[in-house]
Parts: sequence; structure tokens; C-alpha cells
Amino acid sequence: MIRFDGAGKRHPDGTIAVEGLDLDVPTGRITVLVGPSGCGKTTLLRMVNRMVEPTSGRVLLDGTDVAELEPAKLRRGIGYVIQQAGLFPHRKVIDNIATVPYLLGWDRKKARARAAELLELVGLAPETGKRYPFQLSGGQQQRVGVARALAADPPVLLMDEPFSAVDPVVRAGLQDELLRLQSELHKTVLFVTHDIEEAVRLGDQVVVLRGQGRIAQLADPHTLLTAPADDDVAAFLGRDRGLRGLGLRAASAVTVRPVDDGLRYGGWELALDDERRPIGWIDRDAVAAELHPAAGYRPDTDTLRTALDAAVLSPAGVAVALDADGRATGTASREAVLTALAAPGGATGGTDSETDGETDGATGGATGDEPDSTDRATGQTGGATGGR
Amino acid sequence: MNWLSWLSDFFSDPDHRSGPDSIVHRISEHLVFCGEALLFAALIAVPLGLLIGYTGRGVTIVTGIAGFARALPTLGLVTLAVLLGRVDDTAVLIPLVALAAPPLLVAAVEGVRGTDPDVRDAARGIGLTHPQVLWQVCLPSAAPTLLAGFRTATVQVIATATVAAYVGLGGLGRYVFDGLATRKYAVTAGGAVLVVLLAIGAQLFFALLARYALPPGVRAQRRTR
Repeated sequence: MIRFDGAGKRHPDGTIAVEGLDLDVPTGRITVLVGPSGCGKTTLLRMVNRMVEPTSGRVLLDGTDVAELEPAKLRRGIGYVIQQAGLFPHRKVIDNIATVPYLLGWDRKKARARAAELLELVGLAPETGKRYPFQLSGGQQQRVGVARALAADPPVLLMDEPFSAVDPVVRAGLQDELLRLQSELHKTVLFVTHDIEEAVRLGDQVVVLRGQGRIAQLADPHTLLTAPADDDVAAFLGRDRGLRGLGLRAASAVTVRPVDDGLRYGGWELALDDERRPIGWIDRDAVAAELHPAAGYRPDTDTLRTALDAAVLSPAGVAVALDADGRATGTASREAVLTALAAPGGATGGTDSETDGETDGATGGATGDEPDSTDRATGQTGGATGGR
Repeated sequence: MNWLSWLSDFFSDPDHRSGPDSIVHRISEHLVFCGEALLFAALIAVPLGLLIGYTGRGVTIVTGIAGFARALPTLGLVTLAVLLGRVDDTAVLIPLVALAAPPLLVAAVEGVRGTDPDVRDAARGIGLTHPQVLWQVCLPSAAPTLLAGFRTATVQVIATATVAAYVGLGGLGRYVFDGLATRKYAVTAGGAVLVVLLAIGAQLFFALLARYALPPGVRAQRRTR
């Protein structure tokens, strides 16, 4: 766990970047620092690996004050990803990824084998390893940046606006990829962004900052969207936050009417092919048998927002539930979707109260967890460099 | 007599085919002077330049010194070195080193300062120490600029090394000064042509080096900038 203990930064000219922040970043979760530019979020992130030294307070990594650790050693135990990737232009991709293993003195073969593994893990073709950074697209460079950060398998990952410089489609892909990686690797991630959409999408816990590193709100994404702490936070969250909040809840909450129970809704009937794939809606009162597109969603992977969207798009007001092969498993009327909306929670929504509890628990537990100074001295190196 | 017949006279003279006044010998003398001068200049200027470029301290001083050094009269320096010391290689090397060091110093400083700040930040952030950042990141990134600096310095030194003959030492300047002194202009012209050819050869050598010896990532980066 990373813990900011009154950590503040005052520049030599007297301007205050961060006034003094208390924050716990729980182990194995993604914590997102979000706020307008100049709110001190990057400064805070850089305090963790001592790229910035706090002028007051401390930053603890698993109970150890990072100021007591040698910077280079500390950093080799922490993954670091920045906005422009910052790859070494003169090194092949594979050697870029293997940078930290080389620094740690791994032999070349082992380091390269590990780099090849990571290349695959971040979804790049093995040939990519032989290329130079300038030969890659921005999105690919960023993937290499993530791979480089993960190369020595550090328990902690610092990500400073890693996806801000790529276009929205690529960014969405990278975000999905990060979530997939995280579900496998369970790193302690501290992620900085100015994009609230990204924060809500990625964070287990979102910290909204205002000027000088003051916390405006610390909450899980669902709580943030449904119950912003004040008008400023609500304004920062932007419009449609209720609807966007649905994007955090699983579509499986919707009660589906099985296909065998009928496909008629009033004057509309859903037409299926032999494989039960939807063809379209037919208006039974119309003279000509015209097909109207049938919008569908995947109950197992999509969100309530997609289900609602499908229901709204359908002329019959009914969303079609699909399986992985695109076959209809049932139908969900607008009413069914609305009922699911009204229910407190849902599959991901169900974690609402749970997440709240965990966040509280983390804060509470940490206070009781304060190691004594001797413990810290021995435990610290293990904490920072261990796990490789 | 035109210059073409001067040249044919010069190149057909048996004294210029073998012996102490042969072309091959004079060229090798010339190259040894130049090589020594460049080596000493590089040993002084490159490490200093890398350090100054990396820390960013003293950049204005370097620019000032480099400008001042460029204004130094080489012939004057040679004469001064001979007057203060004696007629030997050192008398010639001092001004040549003084001539070669400024472009190398500036190239090293600018090369390191030209390193992408994001790359430097990332390098520090993933755990390279300062010497490692300088050696593994800044030096490769500075390589094209540094090579260009060597190219400038080499050509200047080759051209200027002719003054060695002024204080009685060897090299291609021998032909130029001896020719002038004995009014054998064929010899002077021949020597001058050889100096020019040598300088052009050096240019070509460095062009090829920049083309083939630099890491591809660095080369491409330079192209797009």
C-alpha cells in the first residue's frame, strides 16, 4: 500500500504545488487521481518514486518512508509509465522493455525472454520486438511503455496520463487492455489523468483533486457519479452523469424474457433466423413486411447503459439479449431495463456498498497498521524491492 | 605554365615518389598531427561537454569560450608556442587542439541537451542512475551531433595543420611553404591540392560514418526533426 502522510510540496519560489495530503492507495487496486491541470496530481504521483521530494510530510510504501530508500533502487521496484512513453529511441523495442531487468543484472537471454513474454502480454506481435520505437504508432509505443514498466514485475505501478496522447479509439483499447492486465496481475496502481471519463472507467477508487492537492472527493466511481460531494465535483463530472453511471453497472441485472416465451410485443414481433440470430423487428400491422433493425446487448459483458441504449433504439422498445455467438437468448423490454435501473445495485452495482466498505476498511486498517520505526527499517527494503 | 602542368610536374617529381619528401610520407605526417590534435581535443572537450550538457550548468560560459577560441589566430599561436617552448610537435599541437576543441565542446553540450526530456524523465523514473542516463541515453542521443562536431573539427584541423611547416615541421604544409620559398609554384599548388583532397576525404568519411555507424533509432529521429 502507498500512503501519503501529510505529503506536501512547496517550490523554492514559494508557490505551493501540494498543500499536504493524506491518502491511502490500497494494494492490488487501481486508484485514480483526477483533477484539472495544476491540481498537483502529477506532483503527488512523482513523490512515490522520489522524482519529486516532498517538502513536508512523507510517502510510505508498505510502511516504509520512501525518503529512506536509494532513489534508483526504489524506482527499479516501481513501474513507471508516462504520457509520451519515453522509450529509448536508439534501442529496439525488446531492449526497451528489458531495460529494468538489465539494470537489475539479469543475463541478456533471460531479460529478453521476459521482454518477449511482456510483448505478448500487452498484445503486441513478437516481430514488434525487433523494431525501433519510431516505427511504432502512438498506441503501440504506449503498450511498450506499459510492458517496460511491468518487466521486472514490480508490485506498484505509477501511470502519469499514459493514454492522453493517443486518439479516443486507441485510448479506449488501451484502457480495456489495462483492465484486463489488472484482472490478471493485481498491481497496486496509482493512475493520474485529467479525464474524468477515464478515471471513472479505470478506478476502483477515484480521488478528485482541486487546487494544491486538496481532495474534493474520494469515492468509488458509482458513488462519485451518483452522489458528488458538492457542486464543483458535479460540474467537473459533467453532464449525463446518471446515464454514465449506468455504464458501471452490469447488464445482467436486467430480467430477460426467454425466447421460447414469445417474441411478440404489442404490434411488433422479433424475427430470428434458423440459428436464432435476430434479423429484425416486423411491424405486424404494416402492409409491407418491412424489417426494422434489432439492437442487442450481451448480458454477461455489457453494461446497463448498453442495455438501455438497445431498448431505446428498438422500434418495439425491446432490447435483444445475445450470447457470444450473436444468438438471441431472450428479450428485455424498456420496463424490464427500467426495473433493473431502479434496483439498488446490479452485478457491478452490487459492489457499491462493498467498495465503500473496503475503502473505509483500508483507511481504518492503515491507521492501526502503523509499523514501529525498527520494523520499518527492516521491512522497507523488502517492501520496495521485493516481489520481483 | 598553367596549373595543370604544375600539378603534373609536382606529381611526377621523383623526390615526391619516395624518401622523406614523398607524398605518402608527408600525408602520413599530416595525418599524425591531425589525429593527435583531435585525440587530445576530444579527450578534453567531449567529457567536459557531456557533463556540462547533462547538468545544464555553465552552458553560457561554454558558448562564450567557444566563440572566443574561434577568434584565436592559429599562426600566432604556433609562433607563440615556439617562442615559449621550442620547435617540436607540441608547438603545433597546442594551436590545433585549441582549434578542434571548441566545435567538439559545443557539439557535446548541444547533443546532450537535445535529448528528449521525456526520455530522460522516463530513464530516471525507471531507475537509471545519473551516470547511466548520461551513458545509455544521452550519449546515443547526442551521437549524431557529436559526429557532426568531429567532422567540423577534423576538416578545420586538416586545413590548418599546414602551418606546422611554418615552424619547420613536416606535413603537407612543407610543400606549400617550401614551394613559396624556392619559387617552385608547382610544389605549392600540389601541396594545396593534397590538403584539399584530404579535407574532402575526411568529409566523406564522416558522412559515411553518420550514415552507417549510428543506431537506426537515433538516425531516424534526426531525419524527422
